[in-house]
Amino acid sequence: MQNPYIPYPVVVDKIITEVDTKDIKTFRFKFVNPEDEQKYAYIPGQFGELSIYGKGESPIGIASSPTQKGYVEFTVQKAGVVTSALHEMEEGTLMGLRGPLGNSWPLEFLEGKNIVIVGGGFAFTTLRSLINYMIYGDNRKRFGNITVIYGARNPGLLLYKDELIEWQKRDDLNINVTVDKGDATWKGKEGFVPAVCKEVAPSKENAVAVICGPPVMIRFTLPVFFELGFSKENIITSLEMRMKCGIGKCGRCNVGSKYVCKDGPVFSLAELDKLTPEY
Amino acid sequence: MEKRLIKKDTLAGIAKKMAGDMMVWAPVKKEDNVLFETIGKDGEPFFAYLNSKNAPKNVFFPHTETLMKFTRTPKGMAFSSEANKANQSVLFGVRPCDAHSFALLDKLFDQEKYQDAYYVAKRQNTTVIAMACVKPPYASCFCTSVDGEPVGSEGADILLTDIGGDYLAEFITSKGEKLAQYFGDAKADAAADAKKAEIAAKAKEAIQSRIPAHEVKPILDVNFDNPFWNTIHGKCLACGTCTYMCPTCHCFDISDEVKGADGIRLRSWDSCMFPLFTKETSGHNPRPSQKERWRQRAMHKFKYYVDNFNAIACVGCGRCVMSCPVNIDIRKVVEDISKL
Repeated sequence: MQNPYIPYPVVVDKIITEVDTKDIKTFRFKFVNPEDEQKYAYIPGQFGELSIYGKGESPIGIASSPTQKGYVEFTVQKAGVVTSALHEMEEGTLMGLRGPLGNSWPLEFLEGKNIVIVGGGFAFTTLRSLINYMIYGDNRKRFGNITVIYGARNPGLLLYKDELIEWQKRDDLNINVTVDKGDATWKGKEGFVPAVCKEVAPSKENAVAVICGPPVMIRFTLPVFFELGFSKENIITSLEMRMKCGIGKCGRCNVGSKYVCKDGPVFSLAELDKLTPEY
Repeated sequence: MEKRLIKKDTLAGIAKKMAGDMMVWAPVKKEDNVLFETIGKDGEPFFAYLNSKNAPKNVFFPHTETLMKFTRTPKGMAFSSEANKANQSVLFGVRPCDAHSFALLDKLFDQEKYQDAYYVAKRQNTTVIAMACVKPPYASCFCTSVDGEPVGSEGADILLTDIGGDYLAEFITSKGEKLAQYFGDAKADAAADAKKAEIAAKAKEAIQSRIPAHEVKPILDVNFDNPFWNTIHGKCLACGTCTYMCPTCHCFDISDEVKGADGIRLRSWDSCMFPLFTKETSGHNPRPSQKERWRQRAMHKFKYYVDNFNAIACVGCGRCVMSCPVNIDIRKVVEDISKL
C-alpha cells in the first residue's frame, strides 16, 4: 500500500507568472517516475500537498484539469515559508507532491445541469480546473449551459489571461470577466462580482452555482443567488483551513465532525449549514 | 481461550526473559515517576505501580518520530528513504484504560483509506499485556463511565489479573497466545475464573468517580453556541499538558529539519490548546481564543469522535485531571454540560 505521507518525486517543469504583482505563479510539475502520473489520477476540486524538503508542505488546490495529460499544475500565492521557497525555485528543480487529497467538485451531481461558476481573485484555481474539464472534447455534452463570472481587483490580477481570451471565443460558454477597477487598456466589465452576478442573473432552472472566492465576495454573492432562487443544495463551495497531514489524522482542520482535508474541501451550503460555523 | 496461572513473584522474570528475545516496554521507576521504557534482560521492571505518569501511547505514536529522510542533490532536495522501523515488541503491564486507548487510536490510524503506516507497523509488531486494576489506583479514575473496566481486556492481547497468590493470565488474541510459552504451564481452573469474576465485579464497584459521558452527546449536538463555553477556559494556561498526558489525544505537527546536506521530516505531538494549531498563513484563526480551543477539546472527545467512530475518545485514566496546573477537571466539564 502507498504510504500516504511519502510524496511523489516531481520536477518543476514550467513556471508562469500570472499577475503583475508577480506574487502568484502557476507551477507545472512533471512526475519523475512516469507511472506515478496514473497513481495521481485526480478530479477537479481536489488538492495536493506541495512538499519542499527542508521547508515543509503546503496544501494547494489543483489548477490543471485531469484532461491535461503529462503534468499537473498548481497556482500558488507567495505567502508563508513553503510558498515563498516555491516562488524562489527554478525550472528543473526536484521536489515532492502528495495527493490527490480531499473530495472534489461533485461531477456526477453537476452532469446534465446548467453550471454557474463564480470566482473571485486568486480562488479561481480549482474552478479553472473544473471549467477546462467540462469543456474538454465530448465532456462538454455532459453539461448544460456554462456561465462563468470571474472577477479580480484589477486587470493585472486576473489569472489565466490567455485562457480567458480563448474561452471568450467559444460559443458554448458564457464568460463574464470583471475587475473592480479597470485601467487605460481595459475594455471589459467593471464592477464587483456580486453586482455582475445580479446583472447576468443566471436562471435557477436545473442549475448549480459553484462559488469560490474571498470571504467578502462570498458574503455579498450568496444573497444574490438566494434572490435568484437557488437552493442551498445547489450552491457549492470549497473551504480552506490550516492543514498538515491532509488525510484526517493530525486533527487541526475539522469543522465539527468533518475534516476539511478528507471530507471536504468541497461542501454544499446545505452541508455547511449542518456543520458548526468554525472556519 | 488459553488461560494460565503464574506465581506472582515470577512476573519480573518473565518480562526480563522476554527482553532477551525482543524489545520489551515495561514500567520502571524513574525519580518520582513510573514510566514505560524499554528494558534489557537485566532491567528492573516495577509492577507494584498505580499507573504510569505518562500514557504509553508513545510506544505506537512517539512524541517525535521521523517519517522520512531526504538529501541534497544537484537538482534540489530529494526524498532518500522512508523511515518506518518497528521491532518485534512487547508492551508489558499497561493498565486496562491505556490498553483501551489503543483500540480507540486504531479507529483513527488504522482506517482502510489512508492507513497510517508508522502507527500500524508498531501496533502489528507489538503484543500488549495489560495488568488489571484489582483496586482502582486513584480517586480520579472514571473508566467505567467511558466504556472501560478496571479488569478489562479491550485493546490488550494478554490480560493479567492478580487473584491472590497468583496472576491469572488470559490470552485474549492469537498474538497473545504466541507468547504463552513464557508463562509456564500451570493451566487455570474454573476456580481461578470464578475468583477473577468476583474481583472484577468488586473493582468495578470500587470506581466511585462517575461522569455522564454518554448523556452529553445529544446535548453537545445542539450546544455549540451555548454561553457555557465562556465558563471553562478562564484559568486555562494553554500549556497543553492535558493533551500531552492524554492516552487518546493524537493531534500532530509535521516539520522538516536539515543539517548539512541531509534532512528529516518529523512528526511530533501537537495540541489543540495552542493558538498556532489552527492559525493560517493569512493570520485568520478559526479558533481565535482559548474558549474555542477548549470547546474543540471537549467536542472532539465526547461528540466528534462519537460521530466519526461511534466511540468516546476518553478512557477515564484521570491523567488530565491530575496534571492540570490550574485544576480544570474534565469530569466537572462533562457534568456541567449534562445540565445544559
